[in-house]
Amino acid sequence: MTTEKDNLRTSIKEAIDSQKRPTVTVLSSLLAIQDSIGYIPEEAIEEVAVHSNTSINSVFGVASFYPNFRFTPPGEHSVEVCWGPTCHLKGSTEILEIVLAKLGLVSEGDTEDGKVSFRFNTCLGACSQAPVLSLDHELYGNVDSDMAEKLLGDLDQNKTTH
Amino acid sequence: MSDKVNLTIDGVEVQAEPGSMIIQAAMDNGMYIPYLCYYPGMKPYGACRMCVVKAESPTPDGTYRALPGSPASCTTPVSEGMRVETNSEDTVGLRKGIMELLISEHPHGCLNCHRIDLCGPTDVCLRHVSVNDRCVTCPKNERCELKDTVRYMEMELTTPLTYNNRHLPLEVKDPFWDMDMNLCIVCSRCVRACDEVRGDSAITLKDRSGRSIIGTAAGTSLLESGCEFCGACIDVCPTGAIVEREYKWDKAVEQVSTTCPHCPVGCQLDLDVNKRNKVVRSIPNRQAEANMGMACFKGKFGLDFVNKKNKLKKPMIRRNSDLEEVTWPEALDFLSEKLSGYTSDDYALISSSKGTNEDNYTAQKFVRRVMKSNNINVSSNSRPKLVSALQSSIGDDSATNTIWNLLNSEVILLVSANITEEQNVASVPIKQAIAKGAKLIVIDQRETELTRYATKWIRPLVNSESNLIGGMLRSILDQSLEDHDFATEHCEGYDEFRNSLWNFDLVKVSAETGIPQEEIVELAQLFGKSESSSILYGLETVSEEHVDRTVKSLVDLALVTGNIGNKSSGIYPLYGGANQQGSKDMGCVPDFLPGHRPVDAAGLNLDEISNACSSGKVKALHLIGDELFHNNPDREEFLENIKSLELLIVHESFESDITKMADVVLPSAVFAEKKGTYTNMEGRVHRLRAAIGPAGDEDEDWRILSQLAGRLGSNELSYSSSDEILTEITGEVESYKNIRVEKLGTAGQMRKIEPQKDYLLSPLEFTQNEGIEVNEQYPLIFAPGRVLFDADRDAGIVTENDQNSITRTEVIEMNSGDAEQAGISEGDAVKILGENFELIGNAHLNGLHSGMVATTTLFGSLIESLNKSTEPDPMSKIENLRLCKVRVEKV
Repeated sequence: MTTEKDNLRTSIKEAIDSQKRPTVTVLSSLLAIQDSIGYIPEEAIEEVAVHSNTSINSVFGVASFYPNFRFTPPGEHSVEVCWGPTCHLKGSTEILEIVLAKLGLVSEGDTEDGKVSFRFNTCLGACSQAPVLSLDHELYGNVDSDMAEKLLGDLDQNKTTH
Repeated sequence: MSDKVNLTIDGVEVQAEPGSMIIQAAMDNGMYIPYLCYYPGMKPYGACRMCVVKAESPTPDGTYRALPGSPASCTTPVSEGMRVETNSEDTVGLRKGIMELLISEHPHGCLNCHRIDLCGPTDVCLRHVSVNDRCVTCPKNERCELKDTVRYMEMELTTPLTYNNRHLPLEVKDPFWDMDMNLCIVCSRCVRACDEVRGDSAITLKDRSGRSIIGTAAGTSLLESGCEFCGACIDVCPTGAIVEREYKWDKAVEQVSTTCPHCPVGCQLDLDVNKRNKVVRSIPNRQAEANMGMACFKGKFGLDFVNKKNKLKKPMIRRNSDLEEVTWPEALDFLSEKLSGYTSDDYALISSSKGTNEDNYTAQKFVRRVMKSNNINVSSNSRPKLVSALQSSIGDDSATNTIWNLLNSEVILLVSANITEEQNVASVPIKQAIAKGAKLIVIDQRETELTRYATKWIRPLVNSESNLIGGMLRSILDQSLEDHDFATEHCEGYDEFRNSLWNFDLVKVSAETGIPQEEIVELAQLFGKSESSSILYGLETVSEEHVDRTVKSLVDLALVTGNIGNKSSGIYPLYGGANQQGSKDMGCVPDFLPGHRPVDAAGLNLDEISNACSSGKVKALHLIGDELFHNNPDREEFLENIKSLELLIVHESFESDITKMADVVLPSAVFAEKKGTYTNMEGRVHRLRAAIGPAGDEDEDWRILSQLAGRLGSNELSYSSSDEILTEITGEVESYKNIRVEKLGTAGQMRKIEPQKDYLLSPLEFTQNEGIEVNEQYPLIFAPGRVLFDADRDAGIVTENDQNSITRTEVIEMNSGDAEQAGISEGDAVKILGENFELIGNAHLNGLHSGMVATTTLFGSLIESLNKSTEPDPMSKIENLRLCKVRVEKV
């Protein structure tokens, strides 16, 4: 009898074992798991602990140190607004307010229906196009308020390019 | 040339161990550098930056080069010719800045209140600071290291930074401890103590920067995170962030150093006593050589019984079928009149393993000189065979090395002992040795905490341990891994011993033990090839009739591999009873006088006394303490047997099933009210000091017996103090000759046993194994296991009445053949039924021996039940994990 949990454990183990690097560490294993299944479930902490011969508490200590690791499944879509100095100067505050209002959020996090995960980003690396916004890892530059409204509206209707 | 490093600290030339840190060098030379995260005995960490200094080291051209920045003295090693300045203006300023940052997140009304010098510990705060950070709202008030450091640094009374209360919820749902993360300064001492010192890693530092917090991975409860509730995190916490829950707000007016009454490790504890004559906290002593600042759940949280209001306070005698309270003279008159009708064989006395050497010396003297009997024993001595072979082969019945020398062993063999629960602190050096690379072999049918750490966990058939060890010995000799010089030069009986091994053909041994030959060979290699191998044995799962044989084989194993009399290896018997060793040295046994001198006609042993009570051979039984046969199936039978007695005398501190049956009940002082000595499993004599005064008329057992003897016409026991008895003991018992009361500090004093000229190798006997007798109703043997942490399965935590508890479905391991016969398949819900318990779980079929079932529960469940228990002293009544007969049914 295989359950969903067993499948999860199998994919976690596969992610750990598929690492092709000279030194496999707690951190590299956590990264491999997040790349593979999108987040770090409780089972992943246990598997990494067993694999690295350390305690779950130590692994969790490492995982929780990095804000890039998430412990719940991500939403279907990811939205990031750049918060770097250039975007800031070019008006990302306004964009941010629109995005938050559209998603019904007050800060970073997942929407109530769990469909969209929203995060700030310190620099998306496209300062010449500031302000920048990313939808499902696709960049949109020179964003103004209308464009932000439209992009988020499209997201509602599920019309994003994946 | 000295191998020390020379350096200068604040202009003073000092010497330090190479590789040690500046802060340690300063402390060793009586200089103080403020610190918060540093803790002696733990690895350098450098979290708090409070100990920053200026340092410079010499260069080859004769000038000095400053170490860049302000290095932390707790992470900077000393070097030859180094010059350190600890209190330059810059450094002090920097420290104050760091401290300001630190206390911007710690309530600090208490730290820099201007009434500090005016206010005494008992004064009511006149509200010079805001209500929510007044000193009385901190459980560590007056004991806070942060406060001491702030005062030492003479900080300004105001700080430019506003205090930011993190408003983190209090963690108060786990047994025994409270956590208030608003008081945490993130020094990480607790995490390091748990990980580095105890080897548990039950807590961790979560999240980062300003949000850092101490917690567990799943974020739920310590019950499932691998915590052994030893309290090491509490002991190292510099602030009030982690504290004991009981008497959390109580302040000590006195601290008394004494010995823990729970097991033979003999931990030295400093007891905090409050103004109402109560023991409010127990803090393990860091200078103590037996426990090195460690304690366990029993010593840390299991001493509250001394404060219980329902302690017996008056002597009671049975008149007209009811027990009635009387005065001491009345009780003793009544008792002496009764006792004068009994002599020698009619009478037996069983003393307590919690009794001091003085109590038990007096007890045996009372029995032998006044009652003219040898029917004397100590209640924990239910398995005398556990050490008798040790005595005859090596010349002493205690451990041959100290507990902390286990740290240096390369291989440790643990035979059938649940050391984590029974002699907890002795498992700390084992875990530390494993962390350093030592290998652990566990031979046990049960899964215990240390099996998780084992290189090899061997589960032989029940009672086949002696054959298995015999097989190991045979293989050691076959591979020439023995220490031939030691065995022939220092041991007698080598040839006879070697010849007896011809019976241990590995094919036969493998069949009898259920362990494959290759594994036995591997064990022999692991044990025999190491430079220093230690053996610890409790033989908790071995039946009585096999104990002697098994001990002999283990002693032979230690001798043949030359692991006796060597600094980093030895053999350690593990038994119960805090002062069993001392009691036996005092002659509290039927067959030996004080100092292990044999008697002419031995008295009855514990089982014989129990039977003699029912047959009428013993008519008057004198019990000191009621712990006889506790946690033992024989208890029921014993209770039945003593119904036939004419006279039952009980010295006890609490009412129990036995005191209810007694004719005379004498209130006996608890350990915290006693003065005297205990001898631990290493043979180290420790002191007990009275921490609290008596709550009523209770008295120490030696004084009761001394007065009774006087009334029975003997003046040989007229002692005026326990010290006087100890003086007599040092004259009577050869090995205690050097013991002096005034020399018994926290390190105690080892008793001195003259080393035996030659050790004795015993020939071994190969036995056909019968296992444990089973019957049709209960055809299987059940091996209950318990571990701190189980990564493989989820434990659910439910919270009821604000207390966490564990819910989880147990896994019941079965032999696949047995299961098939019973129609049970993998994952089926099954029920284990024993004579007085049942347990439901899911079947897991594996290679377990046919005829056995096993399960592993979580230590958290035990802690939960101890926390809820209404017994006066639940910690001393923990059920041993013993093998028993069961049957398994499908649910």
